[in-house]
Amino acid sequence: MVIQDTLFVLWLMVAGPLWAAVGLFLLPNVNRGRKNEDLIPATTLKIAGVIGGFALGPVGLGLFYFEPTLIRRTTLTIGVVLTVFVTSQVMVRVVDPHFPSALWLLLAGPLWAALAAYFIPRHYRDEEADDQNVLTAAALGGFAIGPLIFGLMWKTTPKINRDWMIILGSLGAWQIYTLFAIQNPTNPCVQAPFSVTYLTQQTANGVVIGCIYSLMAVGLTLIYSVQGIVSFAHGQLYMVGGYFSFYFLLHAGNLLSELTGTEVQVNPIWGIPVAAAIVFLMGAVFERFFLKPMHEGLIERVSEYAILITFGFGFVIEYTTLAVAGPFPQRTDRFIDIRRFTLQRTQITDDFAFGPINIIGDRAFAMVVGIILIFALLYFLQRTWTGRALRATSQDRQAAAVTGINPTNMNTLSFGMGSMLAAMSGAALIPIFAWVPWVGAEMVGRSYVIVVLGGLGSVPGALVGGIVVGIVEALGAGCHPDPSRGAAYKEAFALVIFALVLLLKPTGLFGREQL
Amino acid sequence: MKRKTILICLIALLAIMPMGMAQADGHCEFADYTITIGGLAPLSAPGAVAGGVAMDWAFNQAADDINADCGVQIDGVNYMLDVVTGDSEGSPERGQAVTERLIQEDGVDAMVGVYHSAVGLATMGMLEANAIPTVFSEPWNDNVSANGILEYDGAPPRFADGIDHIFRISPASSMVGSVVVDWLLSLGVEDVVLIVENTDYGQPAAADEAERFEAAGATVTKIDVELGTEDFVPILSRIQARAEAPDVIRILVTGETSFNLTQQMSELGIAPSEDTICVTNQIAFQSDQYWATVPDGNYCAFNRVGIIPSLFSEAAAELNGKYEEAWGDLIPSFAMASYDAVYIVKDAMERAGSYDDAAAIVGAIEAVDIELSQGRYYFAYGAHNPDLPEGTPEFMWHQWPDPIVTVMQYYEPGQSGLEAAVVYPEVYQTHGTSYIVPGTTP
Repeated sequence: MVIQDTLFVLWLMVAGPLWAAVGLFLLPNVNRGRKNEDLIPATTLKIAGVIGGFALGPVGLGLFYFEPTLIRRTTLTIGVVLTVFVTSQVMVRVVDPHFPSALWLLLAGPLWAALAAYFIPRHYRDEEADDQNVLTAAALGGFAIGPLIFGLMWKTTPKINRDWMIILGSLGAWQIYTLFAIQNPTNPCVQAPFSVTYLTQQTANGVVIGCIYSLMAVGLTLIYSVQGIVSFAHGQLYMVGGYFSFYFLLHAGNLLSELTGTEVQVNPIWGIPVAAAIVFLMGAVFERFFLKPMHEGLIERVSEYAILITFGFGFVIEYTTLAVAGPFPQRTDRFIDIRRFTLQRTQITDDFAFGPINIIGDRAFAMVVGIILIFALLYFLQRTWTGRALRATSQDRQAAAVTGINPTNMNTLSFGMGSMLAAMSGAALIPIFAWVPWVGAEMVGRSYVIVVLGGLGSVPGALVGGIVVGIVEALGAGCHPDPSRGAAYKEAFALVIFALVLLLKPTGLFGREQL
Repeated sequence: MKRKTILICLIALLAIMPMGMAQADGHCEFADYTITIGGLAPLSAPGAVAGGVAMDWAFNQAADDINADCGVQIDGVNYMLDVVTGDSEGSPERGQAVTERLIQEDGVDAMVGVYHSAVGLATMGMLEANAIPTVFSEPWNDNVSANGILEYDGAPPRFADGIDHIFRISPASSMVGSVVVDWLLSLGVEDVVLIVENTDYGQPAAADEAERFEAAGATVTKIDVELGTEDFVPILSRIQARAEAPDVIRILVTGETSFNLTQQMSELGIAPSEDTICVTNQIAFQSDQYWATVPDGNYCAFNRVGIIPSLFSEAAAELNGKYEEAWGDLIPSFAMASYDAVYIVKDAMERAGSYDDAAAIVGAIEAVDIELSQGRYYFAYGAHNPDLPEGTPEFMWHQWPDPIVTVMQYYEPGQSGLEAAVVYPEVYQTHGTSYIVPGTTP
């Protein structure tokens, strides 16, 4: 048996690639002696050579060489499936005994996802059916239920609504979880019943930090939707908001202590409006002097100008702060005098206990602050005249101007408010993280991911995007198969989701260009 | 007539001055040539900027003090000393570019400094190739000094001109690791979690400590993190979810990243706790910074490199006073070492009788025997004594053998680094105990 296995593996590993190489050189010869109109594209022949050679060795090559009419999309697809099968057999024998059960998920899932994403949207267009979200649904469905997705979507070409997406997405997530569980049976994320508590803890960690991420990202999306530019100073405005809060609390505390004769510490919550006011002014003034010319047609290369001028603004803020505040880390007092909230362990059944779940007190507080501010912003945008004017400007500047809205003022307001939101986010986080002049660098990169993930221009999208990024990072770090690498890859997990969203739904989860 | 004579004398004096002693500073007269030493330190992110700024201050303070004492005196001539600090940003490629500029454009006569091991390792080749006598004051990677003999199967050193120009007065990682590991093993720890930065300092240091722990039968779990990460809660929750709490969490992470990590660990109640010892980074000695950013970090221990506060010499206390005046905090060991490094170069140039004869200066550094802020400097092994005895680690080549490494521990919130207890080695213990259990006082 061992000898048989070894020979089989050897054949698969050595002969497969060997015949593929032969096919690569051999198959283009099919065109020899053919008339121009009968020529088969050389690339197609090369692909056929590689696939035929790898999957069926000399048999495949013989078939394609002597009967070139067989070189079709269908036969090549079959060849790819066979190649996957052949490769999987090697993997089963060489790499991991768990492989058979993981095979479908790892190889067939993506394969069917690709096939479904390629064929089904075309079929919808041929049938003149509503093809909105079909690409995403087809890819998700192909991954989750393989060829069955063709059965579901091909015949009736149903309209793809949110329910479809949720069901298919959940099935896909379940597939990944199953694969993960098979491959990592000792991982804390899959070891039932303990995993229930652990996953809840990590999800809570993600939601808490995600809400805080959202607040910063909302500012970016506000600026983008009204002005059509991405602010590269956003990280520094976030940072300087924290410092304004810090210095306000320090000096206010000293002043009150002097006045009262006892030591007074001002709660960091008061630093948030102060930072907001100062940075709003900073942003508004910057917009008036440096961005306004852009909208007046005085700048030739608007996009490049916007990048460079906001980048320069950020640079000036960062190095001025470094000169004034110094490089040593700072932090304000706590919002609340509770180190952590703990949901104590509760025995649910004889075999299953839930808890404990720990949430750091100040983070929970900052999360609440973030949610309140985002909802306040939504209220402002939806219910007030100025908010509606901002939305109108983001939808159509000229039409807004006709109705009496001053787009120039709206530009200033949007940049000021966007900057203010970043500063409020900083002021909310300075009691939580050690604050240094370059603290915005990590945060701003994440904000760009959140904004694109949620959909450029969408405030609810930024909220959801922030929470998704928070959860993905927390689960990624907490569930990574190699505990030693989980934390190091934390930011990469969000980027993977980001890449997938760009592939499947380039407009983001709630994508639109206006507020 | 008298007035005319005085005028002629003054003109003559003015004419002579540029030819010889042109510069005068108070009581000293300086030669035209200014000796330039290059300093390499991280002054921008992602480097450890706080560390770099402290090192830059130390370079300039040393230059000021030397110049106030008539500069570098070579063969009866006083030379003004200038330190040009290059910003390495903590990145190897940036460090190389800045070193190149210091050598080619600024024409430095010697180099000092370097905070990050990656920068030290990346710039060593250039410094050797350009024959620049160098005294590193902070990189810990073992190979920074061992490189003089590593992979060489003949008589050291292995460089083309037969001279190894690199010296180090900071400890090698293995020197620090051995003290911390010995301490923890003496406390009976068996289950160790190492949280390690993904750098040329963190990874070799962790590998060394893990080897020592495992050799003693302890189990080690290593967790890598990236410098600059702010939120560690997910990975800390993973530690918290273990069936058994670890005996110790050892943080091999530098800068403000270590502050965030330590604080979040404390907030979650993981360590320091009754079950788990917290050993954080040496930067915790900067007590103002530490308590400002780690308010829950009481009872955390940390390794301290450099002379312990209770043993501060007069020179160390004076330097600490100047630093406190400038920055309002205790002087970190790497600032002391950076200050001393400039003095070592100055002393070597004076004894070599030259500021540009690299071979003579290297020889003089090898023969150094000088008492500075961190203690008595000397190099046991180098071209002057090339045979490392059997069992002596290779990093002892061009390595100051006596940096004091201790383990200190806070036991009161807001406590000054000067008052923290020295718990290990026993010979330096200040409170008669090798560990202060959380919730107690020594």
